[in-house]
Amino acid sequence: MLDAIDKDLLNRIQGDFPISADPYADIGRSLGISADEALSRVQRLVKTGVLRKVGPFFDARKMGYTSTLCAMDVPEDRLDIVASIVSSYPQVTHNYYRAGHPNLWFTVIAESKERIEEILSGISRKSSINPIHNLNAKKMFKVKVDLKVGE
Amino acid sequence: MEPRDIELIRALQREEIFLTRSPFEEAAKILGWELAEVLERATALNEAGIIRRFGAALTPRNAGFKSNSMVVWAIDDSRADEAGSLLSQHPRVSHCYIRPSFEGFPYNVYTMVHGNSPEDLKKIVNELAEIAGTASCRTLDSLKEYKKSSPVYFPKAFEPAGA
Repeated sequence: MLDAIDKDLLNRIQGDFPISADPYADIGRSLGISADEALSRVQRLVKTGVLRKVGPFFDARKMGYTSTLCAMDVPEDRLDIVASIVSSYPQVTHNYYRAGHPNLWFTVIAESKERIEEILSGISRKSSINPIHNLNAKKMFKVKVDLKVGE
Repeated sequence: MEPRDIELIRALQREEIFLTRSPFEEAAKILGWELAEVLERATALNEAGIIRRFGAALTPRNAGFKSNSMVVWAIDDSRADEAGSLLSQHPRVSHCYIRPSFEGFPYNVYTMVHGNSPEDLKKIVNELAEIAGTASCRTLDSLKEYKKSSPVYFPKAFEPAGA
């Protein structure tokens, strides 16, 4: 369970972890707790899976990377095996079985569009599934920094 | 990208350092740099937008958002821009993209929507339908998570030997 300080802490650090010599002291100060308590709460929130990651979030495109969402339709009885082929690529960061058709949705991030096409051809060849829809974003709206916790 | 920035990005991707009392000092140790230089370059990358943000990512399901789904919308191309922009402003929409539709799948606007419960999610989807000006949507519930990881940028293994 999250207490009131946890919620304040989550809302405080989601979008703005201080780049400073002693960031947990800065965070603690704004919440009225000690640096060590701020750190131990963050450690607990990571350990219990409330927080997935603390640190920098990069703009892949600004570093020359390109990413996309892909979808393919896989017969139910082959889902696990095909999903493991897809997940085996380090460039695949998310991979979900979703309701409806197509049913396997995954994201690929790589150094170039060509590299992404190579990966998709590899998946297609190994799984014998065609087509794989490469749903390159035509437009991306501002990704939200945070979800307000505790409402 | 400057080689030194790539080195810094590699060090900052070590997530374990952010769970210590002095993350940037740890990065400085890994790099053999002065702390001041780490802070200065990290701030510069942040200001340049190469680092989108320094912060924390929730696992929505464990932070009280028990019902999360990808909701896709079929919106006339001429209106997709405006509708996407409005949808992305809803507080429970975390991501919003325009993507190509394809045969048998007329949906072109993709949203990630977060609710406290299945009922809450439905209520939000109804609000979004009002905003989008269409009820033509599908909620693609996740039935199984096969993989969820952070991308690794500039992995060392990609460097030629001796570099």
